[in-house]
Amino acid sequence: MKQYDAIVIGGGHNGLVTAAYLARAGKSVLVLERRPRVGGAAVTEEIFPGFKFTMFSYVVSLLRPEIIRDLDLPRHGLHILPLESTVTPMENGDYFAAWSDHDETRRELYRHSPRDAEAYDEYGRLMHFMAQAVKPILSMVPPDPTSFAPGDLAGLLKLGKHFRGLGGERLHALVKLMTMSSADFLDEWFETDVLKATKSASGIIGTFLGPRSPGTAYVLLHHYMGELDGVFRAWGFAKGGTGSVSESIAAAARGFGAEIRCNAGVSKVAVRNGRATGVVLENGDEITARTVVSSLDPRRTFLELLESDALPPEFVQDIKRFKFRGSSGKVNLALDSLPSFTCMPGIGRQHRGAISISPSLEYVERAYDDAKYGEFSRRPYMDIVFPSMIDPGMAPPGKHVMSIFVQYAPYKLNGGWTDAKREAFGDAVVNTVESFAPGFKAKILHRQVITPLDIEKITGLSEGNIFAGELALHQLFFLRPVAGWAKFATPVHGFYQCGAGTHPGGGIMGASGRLAAMRILKDGK
Amino acid sequence: MNYDAIVIGAGANGLVTAHYLARAGKRVLVVEQHQTADTSADIGWVPDAVIRDLGLAGAGLRIEEPDPWITAPLPAGGMLELSRDIARSTEAIRRINPADAAKWPEFCGRMRTLAGVLERLYLAPPPDIETSDARELARIAGLGLYVRRLGKQTVIDLARILPMSIAELLDDWFESDVLKGLLGALGIWHLKQGPRAGGTAFNFLHHHAGSRSGVFRPARSNVTQALASISGVEIRRGERATVLANNGTATGVVLEKSGEKILAPLVASSAPPRATLQPLAIELYPDFARAVSNIKARGVVARGTLALGSTPSYATLCIAPSLDYLERAYDDAKYGRDSAAPYVEVQRTNGRVELHVQYVGRGSHEDLASRVAKALNVAPNQVQLEAAEESLYHGELTLDQILFMRPVPGWSRYRTPIEGLYLCGSGTHPGGGIPGAAGRNAAREIL
Repeated sequence: MKQYDAIVIGGGHNGLVTAAYLARAGKSVLVLERRPRVGGAAVTEEIFPGFKFTMFSYVVSLLRPEIIRDLDLPRHGLHILPLESTVTPMENGDYFAAWSDHDETRRELYRHSPRDAEAYDEYGRLMHFMAQAVKPILSMVPPDPTSFAPGDLAGLLKLGKHFRGLGGERLHALVKLMTMSSADFLDEWFETDVLKATKSASGIIGTFLGPRSPGTAYVLLHHYMGELDGVFRAWGFAKGGTGSVSESIAAAARGFGAEIRCNAGVSKVAVRNGRATGVVLENGDEITARTVVSSLDPRRTFLELLESDALPPEFVQDIKRFKFRGSSGKVNLALDSLPSFTCMPGIGRQHRGAISISPSLEYVERAYDDAKYGEFSRRPYMDIVFPSMIDPGMAPPGKHVMSIFVQYAPYKLNGGWTDAKREAFGDAVVNTVESFAPGFKAKILHRQVITPLDIEKITGLSEGNIFAGELALHQLFFLRPVAGWAKFATPVHGFYQCGAGTHPGGGIMGASGRLAAMRILKDGK
Repeated sequence: MNYDAIVIGAGANGLVTAHYLARAGKRVLVVEQHQTADTSADIGWVPDAVIRDLGLAGAGLRIEEPDPWITAPLPAGGMLELSRDIARSTEAIRRINPADAAKWPEFCGRMRTLAGVLERLYLAPPPDIETSDARELARIAGLGLYVRRLGKQTVIDLARILPMSIAELLDDWFESDVLKGLLGALGIWHLKQGPRAGGTAFNFLHHHAGSRSGVFRPARSNVTQALASISGVEIRRGERATVLANNGTATGVVLEKSGEKILAPLVASSAPPRATLQPLAIELYPDFARAVSNIKARGVVARGTLALGSTPSYATLCIAPSLDYLERAYDDAKYGRDSAAPYVEVQRTNGRVELHVQYVGRGSHEDLASRVAKALNVAPNQVQLEAAEESLYHGELTLDQILFMRPVPGWSRYRTPIEGLYLCGSGTHPGGGIPGAAGRNAAREIL
């Protein structure tokens, strides 16, 4: 029987990136995916005939440019279309809009507050610079501050130099971004509530935190980190949905010679004498490999794929403490026609961007309050896009698809999730949209409601956490997933981790997958 | 009358700065806005260095370290009492939750080690991370080495726990709501944040500094009274002073009531940084001015007294039955209201019974006394409260406002852009709850 150089468990985008890089280096690689298709949480599926849904993840921004380049993804079908704008309907019938044209956004802001229009440019410059300063960290293997190894010391020194090189003002801004709540941070710059609400909403995505919770500010940087530079909201939409991102990476991996097998769930990693020797499939088949890599989240990787005696007890304890707390849901709709929003009636360019349901800071904070005590938000925060407006191929001619990202829907709902609760959650979402776009409900042809429990069941992400583990300060960098094991290796020889549960974490970034592949190749020398 | 230095504010930090300056041979005047000295207890760790340097032991300093240090009602009746002795506390906890009792000694040890690191950081100016000065770099390297010598676990705990929420930290360790409530309450002291907010674990450790292992309430003392009683500085009470500056240099103070100007080449203010600086022409330094206006110093605490017929049997009574209780109390404050069910702590000290109540919102606080009375099961007229408009710590102890970020980023060495004007109050490093530490650090910087 064939022995592979490497088996990658899980065909999500990080697993595929690892496989592609390993295959590119000449290794024989096998990717094993439990579902019938690759992509993990980045999939496009035709749930209702003719209507293609970006089931979970729906926008692209942080996919590392070096990966796009190294794997030549455009040749394999990757095509990112810009999302033009963000429009926030307000409860008084007005709106706040950020357009792709910077000057237009400033004029719009001036309408709300001349002072904020002034501050906006300075804020943008600072954030842009900070994003550039943080970016190198994403491509860095975190040094271990508890180690006295020369490599770690050198890494820490390099990190110290990098930050000191920023200079005082920017270093202070970085500390603030890392520790403050997005609301407090934005309060220092702006007075327009709806602007602060919309910007801070991006800081709560995927977290179990509200805009006034410390630790949410640094996500503001992500807006300025995207490679679609120069736009307020540097997010894009992949032609064909996010599934096509996964498909393009899979195609690149195959091009380098990797094998990808779907409908092949892995039940265990085979370990002999403290060394990974291969995997056992759910159907009982065994496949051997010199190296096994898991792209599953830390809980699945260490508590399910391995027998508990394969790991040191303290390590198991640390993994058990790793927090997931899924808080997001998704509602995907097939529409007969586009909704018209009270604040900006008719069909127009607002439909080619995002619609953010974040009319005020208090609105978003109250949505969080519901979740804090175990309920889904009665009036949730939502990020809405109409993929069919950007890529007409997503829906039959004249019809549309609508992707609604929703917060908060706690994984641990009081009384647990049931079919009835799922529908009640879907109703809360639809009714809230209706309040900003009367007549919207009548346009709905099909509705798919996804709770965190559904996300967990379908994609395998524990507790439905979209980032494979919360992106909280105490779970980042050398603490992701646990201190001492943040460099992709694990306590089991020949067994590696490459999912978003490792540095730098979630979002369709691929950085974890790439760094893991580098580490594996280095260890193999 | 000529003075070498004027200190604004006769609280613990102002007096400590004044006495250190006086001991260095300066003629010092302290100006205090209140006519009568505040007789309420000083709550917080008084560093040994301050006691020793200023000879406070011989000046009537009394430090109270009550035992048991906390009493909390149990839902089924009875009380949980935690003692200064870890073994006795463990026994008490075992009666409500054996699993929690088993973890108590280790929890106490881990927290003590971390608080020890803070203590070391607090008795010196904050590390200047921008410096290229060899001595400062060596000091920072020394700190790093010191921490690493404490062991791998401590390094990880520091990185992991400081940014955490106190709720997450306690959920990692314990199950009992009462235990988590009384510990969690310390994490929100003087913060406009609830126990689920990141950084509240740091605030918890901050208030553990100076206490012995297993005691999670700071000591209470009369340190301000003791400082006022020792000779060496002149104190003028009942006068509110504003800093005078000319061409970017401090020249003295002007007294508000009389308009009298008192000149001195050095002014140290222990008043809140914003109140000290905003009357001055700091708009000439726009970044500094903006940072000063951005200091978060939201008042969330009401303090007061409780009139009881007899001395209570407890030294400290804590009404914070669970983390959710604290979080809901915060929810009200978040939207600008007083907590419907506030966190209340009763502190028997110096023969008085004092109250710490959190959270207060904005506007009037009409119902607060009756809500506190209800929580304590007493009549509303037994409760006297005063809500603070601004943070009693002159700046909340959030992670973005500590160390080299306090009082404002880049100005953590007690100086200001006004030559000769220094800050020495709890708005500076290491902040409130450690009477005299900021004052001592400031005086040493000035000298």
